[in-house]
Amino acid sequence: MKNVNYTSWQIAALVILRVLIGWHFLYEGLVKVINPAWSAASFLNAAQGPFANLFKSMASNAATLDVINFCNQWGLVLVGLSLIVGLLSRWACIGGMALLFMYYISNPPFIGLDAIAVAEGSYLIVNKNLIELFTLFVLFLFPTGEIIGLDRLLAFAKLAK
Amino acid sequence: MEEKKSNKISRRDTLKALVTLPVLGYFANRFYVKYENDLSSSDFTRMKLEVADTSIQIPAAGYSSKGKQIRLGIVGNGFRGPQVLRSLGFAEKEWSEDKIKNGVPGPRLQSFLDQEDLNIVITGVCDTFSQRAEEAADIVSSPFRSGGAKQLNRPKIYANYREMLADDNLDAVVILTPDHWHAKMAIDAARAGKHVYLEKPMCQTAEEAKLLRDVTLETGIILQVGHQNRQQASYIMAKEIIDKGVIGPVSLVETYTNRNNDHGAWIRGIPKNANASNINWKEFLGDKAWREMDLDRYFNWQKWFEYGTGPAGNQFTHEFDCVNQVMDLGIPKRVIASGGNYYFNDPRDIPDVFNAIFEYPDRGMSLTYDCTLRNSRLRDKTFLGKDASMEVNVGVAVFPDSQSEKYKKYELESDTPLYTYHPKSDAVDAVTSATAKYYHDRGFGYTYHNGKKLDATYLHVKEWLYCIRQGIQPSCNVNRGFEETTTFYMSNLAYLEKRVVEWDAENEKII
Repeated sequence: MKNVNYTSWQIAALVILRVLIGWHFLYEGLVKVINPAWSAASFLNAAQGPFANLFKSMASNAATLDVINFCNQWGLVLVGLSLIVGLLSRWACIGGMALLFMYYISNPPFIGLDAIAVAEGSYLIVNKNLIELFTLFVLFLFPTGEIIGLDRLLAFAKLAK
Repeated sequence: MEEKKSNKISRRDTLKALVTLPVLGYFANRFYVKYENDLSSSDFTRMKLEVADTSIQIPAAGYSSKGKQIRLGIVGNGFRGPQVLRSLGFAEKEWSEDKIKNGVPGPRLQSFLDQEDLNIVITGVCDTFSQRAEEAADIVSSPFRSGGAKQLNRPKIYANYREMLADDNLDAVVILTPDHWHAKMAIDAARAGKHVYLEKPMCQTAEEAKLLRDVTLETGIILQVGHQNRQQASYIMAKEIIDKGVIGPVSLVETYTNRNNDHGAWIRGIPKNANASNINWKEFLGDKAWREMDLDRYFNWQKWFEYGTGPAGNQFTHEFDCVNQVMDLGIPKRVIASGGNYYFNDPRDIPDVFNAIFEYPDRGMSLTYDCTLRNSRLRDKTFLGKDASMEVNVGVAVFPDSQSEKYKKYELESDTPLYTYHPKSDAVDAVTSATAKYYHDRGFGYTYHNGKKLDATYLHVKEWLYCIRQGIQPSCNVNRGFEETTTFYMSNLAYLEKRVVEWDAENEKII
């Protein structure tokens, strides 16, 4: 078990933040899992910016698209579960950051690109994906799974070896 | 806070490890409640009415362009010319360069570049205004091609379409000329064994349409009328809704045109350098009565019934072809029409306010068309059924009828759509589309395939080329064109002759 020096308020704030982000991921994931018609195709086809062609080519190949759909929906679910219960939570942060990074660069709010049709706000370079991505980075650097979470039991298991 | 180092798990440790688990229980409960709630509201129609999912597939998008390269000739390069050339995969250099910012193509240019290569070569062009023939040749030999296709050599410029048709160097022609030339050119092309893509309306009169239909079927060429909205995703959806009986028997379909500017009234300007030396006026007139050269008539030909077809041929045909593909209406039994030329005092003889009623007694319904060129309010095509009303444009919205027995039991509100299809929200995330609001954009230019935005005319020419290669009939074939022309022509006759115009279906004659 690591030596950490958080105050209990700091722990509470970090754990709540972790659970909230986990909740967001879990819901985004499950909503796609239960909808048989869901596919990343339309999202990928709407890609803009420097990597637009890469994302569009992903959508054009049925086999690739199946893999992407699977990884995206179950990736979201796993990251969400992991953050909520605090199991392998640092890995979850990395996974979540990777997903958010893809969402961000597929449709970046750069100057000169069209705002996506139903974006619910106005953005310049910084959007919610980018903020959530860096929030996960903070959680990665200030882990709490071993204090409040199943990682605590995992740490004991390791110690016992 | 200090954590004690110990390899024994205390009760306190276990508690700390499991403290967030109840969140999962709460999540599961809320998720279930929301799921049930969504089923009973936004997904209601999809579940209960068995309407297909919003990810509409447009057949033409999946057609392959492999096989024989098709050699095309372009007849006429006026207002519509550069647009159709882009759909074919050729963009003007200036238009393209204008859309590149910091070396990155803008969305419209990118969408053009993303179009598939249609495996065609344009071998010839012609236009009665020599400058426009040159411009067409410039576009064809521009470096901006879609689908990574290679730049073509400058095509041959023919003095007129007859010389073009006499050349063995082409398989098909794309006719983008004033309406009074459509029938003659298409018939000549068919007799020369060339396939035809023909801008709407197919012909000026019912007699011409009948003749073109007979010649097309006799020669076996593949003719596609330029109603690109055959590729419109919302129309495919609308047809499915009608076919599944969602709105019940339809008693009335309302269609509209509202425009309120000079362009919409077919005042399109006269190029400064146009004159008798670079315009073949005689060729433009064709078999129409001789008169001295008149640049207004030449460039703004839609303003006269002699060369154009009025609001009915220009605009109603779009609306009719939508309703015809959704309901397979065919030609009406009776047509009445009225209107007048009240607001545009320039030389013209077409009306600027025009109303027509098309009766289909065998179907128990009427189709109406209202047009004004002095108001631009958007009015949706509306299908009025016994159980619901359906508004159709680039999207679809179905509103339950307050008196409908069928929907009474669900306690729906008649001002809240029972079902909406809106492609734009679909393009971002299929999950949110069920609750996405219905957009009222007319969207003539684009359609949506699998959530991807595509130029409708590109799909329409792609379908035509595919049908040529396969030897099959396209969606807007000559039979549909015959129905389109006969129907709008009946309303023009009704307007001009101030009488009820009837259709004798057995003898295929107007009475």
